[in-house]
Amino acid sequence: MSPTLEYYCPCQSSTPHPPQPNLPSSSYSFHALHNLYFCEECDAIRCNHCVMVEVSGYYCPNCLFEVPSASVRAEKNRCRSCARNCFMCPCCSNTLTVVPSDPPDDGDGRPPPIISATGEPPFFLYCNHCRWDSAEVGITFEKPTGLAAQLQKFEDSAPEALEFERLKEHFEPYLRASPSTSGHGLGHSHSTHINPITAAASSALARDIPGVARYTPHISARSRSGRDKNSNRHEVPDYRARVEIGSTGLNLGGGAESDVDFVRHLETVEEMATLEQRWGNSWIISPRASDLKPVRIPLHSKKSKRCPSCRHILIKPEQKAQSVRYKIKLVAANYLPAISISLPHMQAALAMLRRSGRAGAEPQDGTMLAGKTYPFHLSFTNPLYDPIQVRLHVQRALPPTSPNAPPDAEKARRPPFAVTLPSAAFPIAAFAEAWEYDDDEDMFGIDDDDFDGRGGGGAGRDARGKSRTVGVLERRANVTVVGGEVMISKEARGDVKFNMLVSYTYRSDDPDPADELGTPSRTQAQNRQPEMKTFSFYTVVDLGTIIVRDASGNDTE
Amino acid sequence: MAPTRDKFTIHSKAVVCQDVDMKGDITIGSGTIVHPKATIFAASGPIIIGSGCIIEEGAIILNRRKEVMRIGDDNLFEIGCRVECPMGNFNTVCTRARVHFTTRLSSYCVIGAGCLVVATDEEILDEFTVIYGPAAERRVWSGQGRIQEADLRRKHAEYLREMLPKFNRLRRGDGV
Ligand SMILES: [Zn+2]
Ligand SMILES: [Zn+2]
Ligand SMILES: [Zn+2]
Ligand SMILES: [Zn+2]
Ligand SMILES: [Zn+2]
Repeated sequence: MSPTLEYYCPCQSSTPHPPQPNLPSSSYSFHALHNLYFCEECDAIRCNHCVMVEVSGYYCPNCLFEVPSASVRAEKNRCRSCARNCFMCPCCSNTLTVVPSDPPDDGDGRPPPIISATGEPPFFLYCNHCRWDSAEVGITFEKPTGLAAQLQKFEDSAPEALEFERLKEHFEPYLRASPSTSGHGLGHSHSTHINPITAAASSALARDIPGVARYTPHISARSRSGRDKNSNRHEVPDYRARVEIGSTGLNLGGGAESDVDFVRHLETVEEMATLEQRWGNSWIISPRASDLKPVRIPLHSKKSKRCPSCRHILIKPEQKAQSVRYKIKLVAANYLPAISISLPHMQAALAMLRRSGRAGAEPQDGTMLAGKTYPFHLSFTNPLYDPIQVRLHVQRALPPTSPNAPPDAEKARRPPFAVTLPSAAFPIAAFAEAWEYDDDEDMFGIDDDDFDGRGGGGAGRDARGKSRTVGVLERRANVTVVGGEVMISKEARGDVKFNMLVSYTYRSDDPDPADELGTPSRTQAQNRQPEMKTFSFYTVVDLGTIIVRDASGNDTE
Repeated sequence: MAPTRDKFTIHSKAVVCQDVDMKGDITIGSGTIVHPKATIFAASGPIIIGSGCIIEEGAIILNRRKEVMRIGDDNLFEIGCRVECPMGNFNTVCTRARVHFTTRLSSYCVIGAGCLVVATDEEILDEFTVIYGPAAERRVWSGQGRIQEADLRRKHAEYLREMLPKFNRLRRGDGV
């Protein structure tokens, strides 16, 4: 496995420092750079665990029809737009097409000379991929249009659908009454537009369950809202189901006797519908593969995300379903340097394997052995239009144990490896569009002025002499490669994984928010001289697993 | 064993592009279309292709056996597929699908895109067998729509017979 590096979002912990990387739970706090956002307002990294997600529009992934949110619930979140007929093959989940019936076959397999262009009824749904067709399950249509409406009759008369309608009716008065009561509870919270459904759901979730301790997160103030309405729940009369569970004995899939009977008489596995084929259905359906019905394509949604503390939008897609662009896009990759990591000894081993034609083989020479020292390379790419200075620190791997702990325990808690990183700050040149098109070495046609940020280029070239492994190794365009070193102790076990603090200093365009209260003259003065700011973030570096060499093995190396 | 001599018998109504890699004893029937960059390789026994077949770019048809490999009429070999087996009529071998020599297709079979068909024992696929999806699952097609599909295939071939010669040099058989 190649070494990895991930970025820390502090939302999961109460301190700004990340958890120890050897804790299994720590992975929850670290993310790939492309999954992170950056709030300019708060000057902070935001991840998918902490952002607030809002649906900004629904659309059908097949016909790209934008479905107004009002009708999404009425359509049960499936496409039945316009005259288009968006159905999914129940067998392979490909899109189905409407086709006419074949003209009568004259027996010799040759088609009749003229096939009418409009086609002959009955029409049916047909899968071009697996050749499933709806005639197999007895679904045919007189007209090739408005199929969804024609199929609606089947759907609506299903006992489950009727039961669900009744349930909705039953809760209707309660839901209508909810907004007024929940309004007070929500007054202080950020969520001003919680709809009655959400309110009802959260109140159901927040209900006291005998024997289960109530979960009270100390930071979250917004989940308190639901519980205030507990007094309301007794007002809802009990609901009496029309049909008893399991009594729908005629239908397969309900877990009744008939299901057992069906499974008992299976001859081939193919008779059974796979879980995947049944998963997307709203109701429990028959487990028999030959009973699978075409499904209306589930709608997709476009979502925008907000910063949890300042509520500014971090990412917002364009409204049109056809568009893949964003109106707002504050992704961390545009603010933080991208860091990639490599182990030169592992790459050499891989290259050798590739040359010898055993690309799939395990690179034995690329593993890390206990008791050895290995260099590693960190490559930084600057996304900013200004040069930056970067400084690296290794987070002390483990917190000290209590002073009266036995020395053995103290020793066991010490990290089994030592990491050396360049101690001095190093520069990364500014990003320029032109870099993207240039070959690595070949910098033709660029004026000397453009080389401002590359003053230290000479140092990199010196370092190409193999003697140095720690320090700046290479500088080209907006990329700087630095070398580090890891010394693995003889008793070391487990993964070489450590937290690294990255601080970078950049020129800030806007005045420091802290100085906004200062006198106007002072702000003026600062604007004349570019102000330098520093942003720090944590990363976790995983170099791989330490291999313990067998004591009886070859020690000749 | 002596290497097989090249012997190409191409029907005058077939359209076989110049840039087709052919080796061995090959017979191509009336109205069959072979796109440029296709490969037909009768490595051991001869290959006989019927009429109305369409063999697209990069498709490979290979006979590893000593027996004659007979390919029926109106079969479609899509881009980059590889077929090493005989077959009946109206089969479709989709893009980059591979069928090994241990298998035989009857008629109206569909081998889905990218599917690999390797039978450990000799196997003859029943008519209307469809192999599809990443796990090369199988099902039996009801046959609904086959007449319209056959009609479409004929039109497809007709169009190619008209257009391909305008942009490609054609190959003629030996002494036909
Ligand atoms: Zn996070
Ligand atoms: Zn977060
Ligand atoms: Zn649709
Ligand atoms: Zn299908
Ligand atoms: Zn914010």
